[in-house]
Amino acid sequence: MTSFILNEKPIRTEERPGMTLLEFIRGVACLSGTKDACHEGECGACTVLLGSRQSDGTMAYKACASCLTALGDADGRHVVTVEGLGGEPLTLAQRLIVEHSASQCGFCTPGIVLSLTGFALGSATLAYDDAVTALDGNICRCTGYASIRNAAKALCAALEGIDKAPDRRLAALISSGVVPAYFTDIAARLAGLGAAPVPCGKNTVTVAGGTDLFVQKPEQLLESELCFLSRRGDLDYVREDKEFLRVGGAATIEDFRNSPEVRRHFPALAADLLLHSSAILRNKATLAGNIVNASPIGDAAIILLALDARLVITGEGGRKREVPLDKFFLGYKKTDLACGELVSEIMVPLPPSGARYHFEKVSNRTTLDIAAVNSALLLTAGPDGAVKDLRVSAGGVGPVPMLLPGLDKLNGRKPDAAFFNDLSKAALAAAAPIDDIRGSAEYKRLLLGQLMLAHGRALAPVEAA
Amino acid sequence: MRNDDTLMHVRGTSQFVDDIPVPGCLHAVLFTSPVAKGRIRSLDISKAVTAPGVAAVYTHKDVPGLNQVGHVFKDQPLLAVDAVEYIGQPIALVIADTRRNAKKALALIKADIEKLEPMLDPRAAAAAGQLHGKKRVQVHGDPDAAFAKCKHIFEGRLASGAQEHFYFETQRALAVPGEHDTIKVYASAQSPGAFHHHLAEVLGIPMHKVELDIRRLGGGFGGKESTAVWIVAPAMAAFLLKRPVKLLLERNEDIATTGKRHAYEYDYKLGLDAEGNILAYDITLYQHAGACADISTAVLGRSFLHVCGSYRIPNSRVTGLSCRTNIPPNNAFRGFGVPQGTFAIEAAITRAAGVLGVKPEELKRRNLLRDGDKLPYGVVLSDVNAARCWETLEEKAGIKVRRAAVEAYNKAHTDKKRGLAVVPVCFGISFAQTALNQASSLVHIYMDGSVAVSTGAVEMGQGVNAKLRIVAARTLGVPLERVRVETTNTSRIPNASPTSASTGADLNGMATKYACERLRARLIAFAAGALKAEPAAVEIKDGEVLISGKPAGFGWNKLAKDAQWARVDLGEHAFYATPNLHYDMEKEQGRPFAYYAYGASLTEVLLDAVRGTYTIEAVDIVQDVGESLSPAIDRGQIEGAVIQGMGWATMEQLRYAPDGRVLTGVSAYKVPDIKFLPAHFDVTLLKDSTNPYAVCNSKAVGEPPFVHGIGAYLALADALSAARADRDLPSLPITPEKAFMYLHGGGK
Repeated sequence: MTSFILNEKPIRTEERPGMTLLEFIRGVACLSGTKDACHEGECGACTVLLGSRQSDGTMAYKACASCLTALGDADGRHVVTVEGLGGEPLTLAQRLIVEHSASQCGFCTPGIVLSLTGFALGSATLAYDDAVTALDGNICRCTGYASIRNAAKALCAALEGIDKAPDRRLAALISSGVVPAYFTDIAARLAGLGAAPVPCGKNTVTVAGGTDLFVQKPEQLLESELCFLSRRGDLDYVREDKEFLRVGGAATIEDFRNSPEVRRHFPALAADLLLHSSAILRNKATLAGNIVNASPIGDAAIILLALDARLVITGEGGRKREVPLDKFFLGYKKTDLACGELVSEIMVPLPPSGARYHFEKVSNRTTLDIAAVNSALLLTAGPDGAVKDLRVSAGGVGPVPMLLPGLDKLNGRKPDAAFFNDLSKAALAAAAPIDDIRGSAEYKRLLLGQLMLAHGRALAPVEAA
Repeated sequence: MRNDDTLMHVRGTSQFVDDIPVPGCLHAVLFTSPVAKGRIRSLDISKAVTAPGVAAVYTHKDVPGLNQVGHVFKDQPLLAVDAVEYIGQPIALVIADTRRNAKKALALIKADIEKLEPMLDPRAAAAAGQLHGKKRVQVHGDPDAAFAKCKHIFEGRLASGAQEHFYFETQRALAVPGEHDTIKVYASAQSPGAFHHHLAEVLGIPMHKVELDIRRLGGGFGGKESTAVWIVAPAMAAFLLKRPVKLLLERNEDIATTGKRHAYEYDYKLGLDAEGNILAYDITLYQHAGACADISTAVLGRSFLHVCGSYRIPNSRVTGLSCRTNIPPNNAFRGFGVPQGTFAIEAAITRAAGVLGVKPEELKRRNLLRDGDKLPYGVVLSDVNAARCWETLEEKAGIKVRRAAVEAYNKAHTDKKRGLAVVPVCFGISFAQTALNQASSLVHIYMDGSVAVSTGAVEMGQGVNAKLRIVAARTLGVPLERVRVETTNTSRIPNASPTSASTGADLNGMATKYACERLRARLIAFAAGALKAEPAAVEIKDGEVLISGKPAGFGWNKLAKDAQWARVDLGEHAFYATPNLHYDMEKEQGRPFAYYAYGASLTEVLLDAVRGTYTIEAVDIVQDVGESLSPAIDRGQIEGAVIQGMGWATMEQLRYAPDGRVLTGVSAYKVPDIKFLPAHFDVTLLKDSTNPYAVCNSKAVGEPPFVHGIGAYLALADALSAARADRDLPSLPITPEKAFMYLHGGGK
């Protein structure tokens, strides 16, 4: 039994928890405003808002791709589709899209309305750049985006100065016409739903964000018993603990990216992780899930390898073990995770003083695309400027996300141009890519070499842009 | 005035095919060929037929009428008989209670297919004589003599890539059987008339028993113009089973099995005199057409007519070959061959400028079309706006200043390079196929004064319905909200031409204008009689009847009511055929276009020479839209077309496996996202342009601005050349991979 609120309406359904939320919305609830256009989270036409009641009694809304969200994941939550915004009168986002002619064929428009509404509900800054970022997973094939950009700009202008305090924000947004008044009661109504999550067990499939899993095997998930990490509040945290940043196994990429701890210790990650995926996926995908997916070009794995992260793995009966991330990947899509085990925490050592971090990713499309090659670097220099420790990861050049071997020999040197040239040579020697859809083997090999030089340029810019 | 549908789009209440509720609807999926070329030895559907939920499995033997959906030639069976010619070619049709059950049954079909060697290279196909239609050759002036006089001659090969439409609403249709063996089909389709014909032919029933209804498309871009498979297949199942049947392609099926913008290869030879005037051009177009002709020969024809781009070329030889290969048949895509035809001359001139050490824009400006120039097919141009667009662009974007800034930047930087390109556009408007330049409109005034307009135009986001409303409201003299545009329906409008070639508003708007003029004349005559006034003194404006400019005391609604009671005909059908169009395919001469849409754009890019990545930083566009019926809609069309063109020129790349399979599914085929949009993106509508050849002096806008996208390629090529000039530039599109390999790869 899955219980949630769909727009204004309470839902109790016996449909399988592994059915996609999109299929439920269109096929069972017969709401056709949410569009079905790619099934891989690549287009945003099926964007809905997923609202969760927070411990302080407020609601947190996030825009998600309903094609990659399980019905069971909606349990105890508020699901908002375009129909749930009322329409009479138009909400602010709807009205601005109309005023700016930011819709042509209209198939992507409901998703854009929801993403903009999710931005208004959730953005810490309500700044224009963040509005554009909130739309980075909503493809539009007709408008060319100029009019959508204008609508987003107008939305930010309309919301300027609005009360962003968590307990007053919703009321402010309701009075600004961003969402209808019934949103006021949702938190209280959810509290009374009494949704009970399915515990993880031997015969259940653990779903973290689901954004990879539902691309890979949606039919299999439909038939399976699922356990949703999104319901594990105990695993949803980012906290600083002595010399580590500890990230719970259920923390999403977006929460990680926006956490004050990350902003303080790894300020570059806020921008780096925008290259990871689109907003509607970052809101759902977890850092741990991205690692367990074990893609040879997973951005999270590449970043965390350089940062020397360790995984805490919890098995049956709560038995815990720690595995350094660079020992976790055993082969193509093979990891050191046994059946019934779970990555419950990621421990990221806080950077030592004198450490410098940089991430490089090249993909066909700059955003919302999978890397041809990616690489992260953590370089620690002593007071004399000489390199004490160097960790450089490389993705897309082998069967697993890898750390470049044999970099010890570069220690003790100044990180100058010659240093990075030698790093580049080491990278070229270590790279063993294959021809695939992301590029030819030769491209990826040479690109990795160039990205080493790019690391060097980033640490010591040689010319201003 | 905005797109009529936007108010519904933002509420999610616009109805697309899959949003129509149909109780008891069955679902159809296609079993398609896994090999690019083969002979079907046997096909066993017995296990699929008895699978859970399956209502029927059909093969070619079950087709009630003609097993044929070929668009121009009868070369495309609906369901394969004994041979398959491309991966994804339909062989059988499975119908079940749910889509899931239909898909499960697919796996139970066993096809024994003998694999044959596929043809996947267009040049090899041409060499082997595997062509659709005839090789076309057109000679203008005396190219051989002219080349002999040229000071500079540039020769080479070029290529431009395929492009996936990526319309959001994939191919789909819903068919509902009716009484008397009739059938009603709701489809996402751009060609009501042609598809209506295909439906009747395959079902083996007369066209009056088939009703095709089209409300709107979730994007078309040409991809829903010619290939009838996905409309006819569910209709056949519904017809045979007497149950509603729906078919829709999933995204990756759509990418893998539907037609694309044609990839082209080119051999070119360009000759200039000492001053840089183009004297002669020889161009051969190898069009990668695919397994069936579909609409390829027509696309090639339009490329053929646009090889000179916006330039004066007194002597030319154009050769066009539509190459038959074993990939899914390619079809129409915004621009319909014009971007491909124009690309070659743009690339050739740019290369010439590079070798000669002059700025490409100087060479282009020198050779820009002007009044009195003669095009290779015999048209002598007048009202040419090419130079006006160029000068407007210079004024607002500062071509010369920007070029100087790019040069200065490139001198000062090695890791990054800037590139710039100016692209002029000259785009002939009309279907090149003269017969298609016809449209009809059916206008009803109801006794309450509301007005309904039906035409053959299909709304797909381009705003044609809004434009038709404007034309009707203006002509009748009523407020906009009194006019509604109906679905596109073959029972109201027969034999409609496709909504394509940017002609939707031109043709259907003109027919609507005619119908409304006649209705207005009848109502004015009636009002004059009733008011005892001179008809010449009566007018209808903003829903009011005026006599000599003064209110007559009654409005439009009463006029309609009284006229109906007085037995005045309040319905009108009108027909429009674009005058003075003709083309002789033997002589390759004629007047195929009613007029030309002009434009000019400046594109500037920043190349990261370390990584091979780039940003399109700024685009300035001037487009000639005549007297715009709706500037908001026209701007939207321009912006969308330019970004789509830039996608074609940069990131959009289809990749095929050696066996002919499309490798680039939705996770790898990338189209522009919001962050791709240049920080500076400015559109100017050319001032003081008019056009007597289209409705209300407007000009077509759907396709011409797509051509500006070539600027992204040329600007990137410019930046790449600034980084190193010692090798051949990459083909279009310039992906980051190609840019990188140009900069850092081995070889030549």
